[in-house]
Amino acid sequence: MAYLLIVDDDLDFATAVARVLSQEGHETAIETDAAKAVERIEQRRPEAVILDVMFPEDDTAGFDVARTIRRTFGPLPVVLLTAVNQQFPLGFSPRDLDAKWLPAVDFLEKPIDFARLTATVNAILARHQPHPTSPDEAPG
Amino acid sequence: MPLSRDLPTPPAAAPGDTEAAWTEYRLPRAQPPDGKEPAPPDATMLASNARWFCRLRWIVVAVLSAYGTFGLLRPEGCILTGIRGGGVWALAVAAALAGLNLAYLGFLRATEGSSRRAALATACLWTQIVLDLVLLTVVVHHLGSLETFAPMMYLFHIVLACIFFSSLRSLAVTAIAWTLYLACVAAELAGVVAPPTHFAAPPAVSRAALPLATGLVQAGSVLFISATVWFLTSRIAGALRQREEELAVSNRRLLAATEERARHLLRTTHQLKAPFAAIHAQTQVLLGGYCGTLSEDVRSTVEQIAARAASLSRQIQQMLQLANLRSAAQQPPPRVAVELAAVAAAAVAAHQPAAARRGITIEAALETAWTTAVADHAAMLLDNLVANAVNYSHEGGTVEVSCSPRPGGGATVAVRDRGIGIPAEKLPRVFDDFFRTTEAASHNRNSTGLGLAIVRQAALAGDIDVSIRTAPAAGTVVTLTFPPGAPPGGPIP
Repeated sequence: MAYLLIVDDDLDFATAVARVLSQEGHETAIETDAAKAVERIEQRRPEAVILDVMFPEDDTAGFDVARTIRRTFGPLPVVLLTAVNQQFPLGFSPRDLDAKWLPAVDFLEKPIDFARLTATVNAILARHQPHPTSPDEAPG
Repeated sequence: MPLSRDLPTPPAAAPGDTEAAWTEYRLPRAQPPDGKEPAPPDATMLASNARWFCRLRWIVVAVLSAYGTFGLLRPEGCILTGIRGGGVWALAVAAALAGLNLAYLGFLRATEGSSRRAALATACLWTQIVLDLVLLTVVVHHLGSLETFAPMMYLFHIVLACIFFSSLRSLAVTAIAWTLYLACVAAELAGVVAPPTHFAAPPAVSRAALPLATGLVQAGSVLFISATVWFLTSRIAGALRQREEELAVSNRRLLAATEERARHLLRTTHQLKAPFAAIHAQTQVLLGGYCGTLSEDVRSTVEQIAARAASLSRQIQQMLQLANLRSAAQQPPPRVAVELAAVAAAAVAAHQPAAARRGITIEAALETAWTTAVADHAAMLLDNLVANAVNYSHEGGTVEVSCSPRPGGGATVAVRDRGIGIPAEKLPRVFDDFFRTTEAASHNRNSTGLGLAIVRQAALAGDIDVSIRTAPAAGTVVTLTFPPGAPPGGPIP
């Protein structure tokens, strides 16, 4: 069982995701405000973050949050979600996922396929087994 | 309670206002490129033109060098071309041109980083033109200013000037050419300079046998032909330049519109798709058995909901794309005489039921006021402003709408609420698509954030000034200043 944080301004959607992941045996928490996501992670560090891209205040707030997570918490896995598909000019595509530019491990498009979401999350958790972090470990 | 005419300046006069600080914001007028902005001087283009002239000159240097070498090796061959004196003169001119060319290129290279590069490149260009014409005049003199077609070489310069410069500047080049040529002819006729020495024409048309009148006619012909060439070429080049500028302006506008449309499409798509994503997610939760096992009937129903939601999501996306594609080809709608009091009254009537449900009173003080506007845009503007005023008023509040003619023509329409107001730092963004302040989003979750974006677009298209005076927790006044207009069939009574 892992602790997962879902960051999405659409509470209905986030609740559905949380319900599915809970049924998979994970503990979940929801944050609808992108600006508070980092604070929530600081309070309790999740094993992975499910993060929406577009928020009311900013088209690409999710990107900023993902980069902040990388800077602050190191290799904490982030899965990006968005309702806007690639034909629109968000300025990126799943091909652009890169550890330096956009620190996320996967990108899922809404409407979401829950089978793929759970498979993705489980694969990420398998790759990023929780390990004790030493105080000297510098964030990336 | 009728509104006073000074509605747009409410802080001191309005009863019930708090001590909150009021802020005023005026919507910038010149946002979209309108094609009227002056193009900045393009130093790169000028330097590029100067270099192009140099490259052309290298060709002339090569031709003259080849001819000069041939003349040195086979002087008798030069005589066959009608020119005496072997190739020395051609080599001398080629050397002079080559030296000047090196000097020009060196100058252009040295001034590359200069802040006055445009002016220096222009100076280099004009120096090249003048010195080329001087050298050409020397050549024309030696070949025969009246006896040969050498003066026609001025036409190369005139045509090039017409292509690269405006009509006035190309006329200046033509005038310089004329002046130098006439000075040459006059000096020859007056005996100030020796007659041509390189012309190997038969004696019948030699300078000695050439009457003065014939010489003047020939010189006049040169001037007439060059004037005709200048006129025709400059007109054609001017028309081409104008068309090029129009295309460049259209291209800039198209790019800006495309960018704006793409941004709008992105946000609208997200706003419309997100609810369907949530519906889809909930149906998947049910169908996935995360809320327990479903009976066949329930499963079938949920599947239908999921299918229709997905279908509608796709349709919305396609409609938006189609609408955007069509709008790219649309012409701006025509402006007509619009009576704004009637438009404002219609907007008030449309929102009266919604206001009444929340105990909000809409007070209207509307005087007949004409403007020239796109009728639909005026209706959109007022409809959105009244809707916003109602949406962001507190229950039991008051919305005030006024319309009045302006002394110098045009009209002023003001819509005021005593609602939540807008924080000063967020004022510049309220006209952005889908932008809502945190207060606005929590006060009315159903608003789209498109109202003031529509106001912005319609105002910019219609030369309508928009200003907002607002204070948090005290309210907002939006004032529209419309351009002058008259009722159909005559001036304002």
